[in-house]
Amino acid sequence: MLSIVKRILGQMKNDKRSLGLLLFAPLLVLTLLFFILSDSSYVPKLAVNDMSEKFVAELENHATVSEETEKPEAADYLEANGIDALIWNDSEGTHIELLEKNSKSAAALEAIQDTNKALQPTKNELIIDYVYESSGDNQLDSLSFVFLGVISFFFVFILSGMSFVRERFGQTLERMLMTPIRRIDVIGGYTLGYGLLAAVQSVVIILYAVYVLQLQVEGSVALCTLVMILMAFSAVSVGALVSIFANNELQLVQFIPVIIIPQIFFSGLIPIDTIPFGLGNLCYLTPIYYGCTALEMIMIQGKGVVEIWPWLAGSVAFIGVLFLANVTALKKYRRL
Amino acid sequence: MKIEVCEVNKSFKQQQVLNQISLTIEGGRIFCLLGASGSGKTTLLRIMMGAIPADGGSVTVGGIAVPNRQLLAEMGYMPQNEALYEELSAWENLKFFAGLQRQSRKTFAADAEALLQIVDMAACKNKLIRDCSGGMKKRISLAVALIHKPKLLVLDEPTVGVDPVLRRKIWLYLRQLRNEGTTIVVTTHVMDEVTQCDDAALLRNGHIIARDTVKNLIAQTPDGNIEELFFIDNQSEAEAPLC
Ligand SMILES: Nc1ncnc2c1ncn2[C@@H]1O[C@H](COP(=O)(O)OP(=O)(O)O)[C@@H](O)[C@H]1O
Ligand SMILES: [Mg+2]
Repeated sequence: MLSIVKRILGQMKNDKRSLGLLLFAPLLVLTLLFFILSDSSYVPKLAVNDMSEKFVAELENHATVSEETEKPEAADYLEANGIDALIWNDSEGTHIELLEKNSKSAAALEAIQDTNKALQPTKNELIIDYVYESSGDNQLDSLSFVFLGVISFFFVFILSGMSFVRERFGQTLERMLMTPIRRIDVIGGYTLGYGLLAAVQSVVIILYAVYVLQLQVEGSVALCTLVMILMAFSAVSVGALVSIFANNELQLVQFIPVIIIPQIFFSGLIPIDTIPFGLGNLCYLTPIYYGCTALEMIMIQGKGVVEIWPWLAGSVAFIGVLFLANVTALKKYRRL
Repeated sequence: MKIEVCEVNKSFKQQQVLNQISLTIEGGRIFCLLGASGSGKTTLLRIMMGAIPADGGSVTVGGIAVPNRQLLAEMGYMPQNEALYEELSAWENLKFFAGLQRQSRKTFAADAEALLQIVDMAACKNKLIRDCSGGMKKRISLAVALIHKPKLLVLDEPTVGVDPVLRRKIWLYLRQLRNEGTTIVVTTHVMDEVTQCDDAALLRNGHIIARDTVKNLIAQTPDGNIEELFFIDNQSEAEAPLC
């Protein structure tokens, strides 16, 4: 088993390009995503009706403000004038009407909240309405955990799947199996070897995300890393398992839409309980679900080991099941 | 180690590659499996080692039915294509397979050095396989098959692409191994290699059409020319429709 681990690390050492792709490509993608999702320089356009001078003056520090003397019909007005939010007062409190949930409305709300903070004493209730109600209550920037999980899973899956396919194609697998090694050691060595590489990748990604991209993590960064490493190990196993059904590299690539994309659906991008026909229950079959849910709980909700252990256990169980499946599947190549 | 192949059949999809093959290979001899390309030599070797299952029949090596893990430890296999790790050097490949065979780490360096000397690769042992020529890969692959001093050596076309001088050196070494008691099974379609072997069998159309000591086989040919062996092959093909 140790021979295989050493061999895999040796191969990587001599294959600088793969190593670079494994470590730096995810960072590149993550950085790009970071800039796409955080349009932080965007100045929201707000319209106010019958608000105090003080409020408007402060609001102008955070947004482009236009004052309306008549309270317009929100739906038509917002769309026609490209305004992000309409603000007015009545006996209930301060009303904020927005078009829909997106990064622009998030920026608008932030501007209003900043204004309220600056004006502190006026403690009036904010009543937020959307013209187009959508079911999700996630803001885009809080979906970072999905991307962290999916990106690392994807790269590791490709790496381990490809190398297994190549090993079969070049018949080094047959040669390896013509030694007294046990099947369990082959899979163990493979999982451990590529798992170690994947773990290094996970650490690099998380450190980069937290310390360079300044991603908000409410809970413990170490716990995040642990979850990422578990997810990486399951990615190695999924890659190895899928490669058994692929006869060449092309076929492995063709498996990506079948294996990876459905997992993204269950990664938290779409709230599981809104998926109809009980299809949401399929999430328990996708390793990304366990990892991403745990990441969400740590990064967004600041939960600790006590709360997330079921998902950690799910990840570990998944790795165990995949391991046994791989050992059994290897029977196709040697009956012992 | 005596190898007994008993009524082995093998088909891939519709194509029958081996048809009721029965064959005994005595221990401590060099046995040569002759046959045209595509005649099923590789398939027969793989069945003999237990790499793939036969459709029917049985194979025992040293009295033990294949596949068997203890047997694998005593067997050295050199596949027809190189089957080496491209991103590793010759030395690292040797080290990996020695590790799988649980070779002692202390003696490894000396053994590997000696083997690389024999296949004339000592000078570029740290070269990556992906930078090696076909003949170099062949030689490294042979060294890998020999690294754990197997009692049974299975070599699939071992000297294709190796120059004549080195080829002679390799055969000399194989015969020395044979004298030390190693059983060696090789396949080839190069005629003059047959003379290096003790026994030979001709494989054609899924049947063994001749099997004897090399001396006797050559005696059967009209003018003692080894190449005539191929014509024994053709005659039987001509006779085939009659029976
Ligand atoms: N895995 C396989 N699947 C399908 N056909 C195969 C397979 N392996 C070998 N064959 C077929 O079996 C025949 C014998 O092949 P092989 O044993 O490699 O011949 P040789 O080694 O004598 O050149 C060939 O016609 C080849 O096409
Ligand atoms: Mg062959």
